[in-house]
Amino acid sequence: MINFQEMAKEIKNLTPIPAVTMSLLRVVDDPNKTMDDVTNIIQYDPAITADVLRSANSAYFGLKYPAETISDAATMLGTDRLVELVLLKVASKIIQGPLGGYGMHEGALWQHSVSSAIIAKQLAVQLGLSHSCSIFTAALLKDIGKTVMDKYVKNAYEKIYNLVISENFSFMEAEKKVIGVDHAEVGGMMAQIWKFSPKMVMIINNHHLSREDMVQDKDTIIVYIADCICMMMGMGVGADGMAYRFHHQAIEKIGISADDILTIIANATPQMKEVAKLLKMV
Amino acid sequence: MEHIVGIGDMKVCNQVGDTIVAPSIGSGIGLVVYDPEARVGGILHYILTDSSIDEIKAKNQPLMFADTGIPTLFKQAYLLGAEKTRFRVFVAGGAQIINQERKFNIGQRNYTALTQILTRENVAIWKQAVGGNFNRTARIDINTGHISLKTSGQGEVKL
Repeated sequence: MINFQEMAKEIKNLTPIPAVTMSLLRVVDDPNKTMDDVTNIIQYDPAITADVLRSANSAYFGLKYPAETISDAATMLGTDRLVELVLLKVASKIIQGPLGGYGMHEGALWQHSVSSAIIAKQLAVQLGLSHSCSIFTAALLKDIGKTVMDKYVKNAYEKIYNLVISENFSFMEAEKKVIGVDHAEVGGMMAQIWKFSPKMVMIINNHHLSREDMVQDKDTIIVYIADCICMMMGMGVGADGMAYRFHHQAIEKIGISADDILTIIANATPQMKEVAKLLKMV
Repeated sequence: MEHIVGIGDMKVCNQVGDTIVAPSIGSGIGLVVYDPEARVGGILHYILTDSSIDEIKAKNQPLMFADTGIPTLFKQAYLLGAEKTRFRVFVAGGAQIINQERKFNIGQRNYTALTQILTRENVAIWKQAVGGNFNRTARIDINTGHISLKTSGQGEVKL
C-alpha cells in the first residue's frame, strides 16, 4: 500500500499544466466564442505560440501560405483544429515518455491517448454533442494517472499481474487492491490539482466506468468507448492489455449497438495512419 | 529488414534475412502464413469480419476485413511462389475486454470468420494464440520460418 500523502506531494510537485490550457478549456465549447477569444488566449503564451506555429507550418497541415501569427493559423486551420493542436502540444509534454511499470515503450501512451481523443471526438460529433472539444481533451488526458502510478505499478507488478491472471481482477481493480489507489483515481487527483473543471475531473476519474452511477453520463461513456476501441485495435497498449471491464449496457444506453462499434472501428482504422503522422509532427 | 504490419495491413516477403512483425494485435486477427519450400512468408492483420458493412472501405481498405483480406494475403503469397498446400499457419489475436460478450465480442467474431474461411480453403491452423484479454505481437523470420509471439505482460517466446 502506498503512502497517500507522499503521492499527493509528488503530484503537487509535478510541472504544472500551462495556464493557457485552462483558459482555452473554459471557452472552447462556448457556442458564442469568437476566433479572437481563442487566439487572444493562445498568443498570451509565447512558447506555445512558437511551438504551435512551427507545427501548423509543417507539411502535415499543408497550408498554402505560412502562418506567421496565431490569427493566421486560426484562419487557415479553423478554431477547433487550432485548439486541438495546442492541447496536443500540452499533453505531449506530459505523456510522451516510456512507462516501464505498464510495459509501455516511449510514445505508446501518447499513441493511445491521441487515438482515443480522435475517436471520442468523432463519436461526440456523430451523437450531435456540441462540446466535442472537451470530450477530445478528456479522452486525451484520461490516462495521465499512469504517469504517476508507473513506479508503484513497477514495484508491485508481480502481485498485480497474478491477481489479473489467477483471480479474474481487472488490471485497475488489481492496482487498487495492491497499491491502494488506481490510475483513474490518481488521474482525477491530478486533474483536480490542475484545477480542471469538475466535469473533466469526473470523466478522468471514471473513464473505466468503475462507479455504477457513471454509466448514466453520456460524455464519460463516449470516452470509455473510445478507450475500449483503442484496446481492441491495439493502439498504444501495454502490459495491462485488454484486462479491463466491458460494460455493454452503458454503451447500449447511449444508443450505440455492436454494429455501430464495427462502423466506428471501420472509420477509425484508416485514420490511425494519420495519427502516426500527427504523432511525428507534434 | 523488418517489415511492420499495421492494423488493416499486410506484408508478404521472400527476402531471406527479412522479418515481418505485427505489433499489438488485440481483437483483430494476425494471420501468419509460411511456405518453407518457397521461403515465402506473410502476415495479415485484419480487424473486422465482413466487408459488406461498407462498400467503399471494402474497395479502398480490403485488408481491414477477413473476407477480403485473407484471399489477398493468399494471392500475394502465390505470386511469390508459395503454395497453399505447404502453408504453415499461425494465428494470433481474437482477444476481448473482460465481459465483452455476445455480439460485442468482436475478437470471437473475427476468429470465427477466420476458421470458416480456412475450412473453405482447406487450410489447417498449425498453432494459435487466441482469445483472452491480451494484446499480442507476432513475428516471422523469412529465412528460417521461425515464428515468435509476445503476449502483453509476458516475454517473447519462439514457437
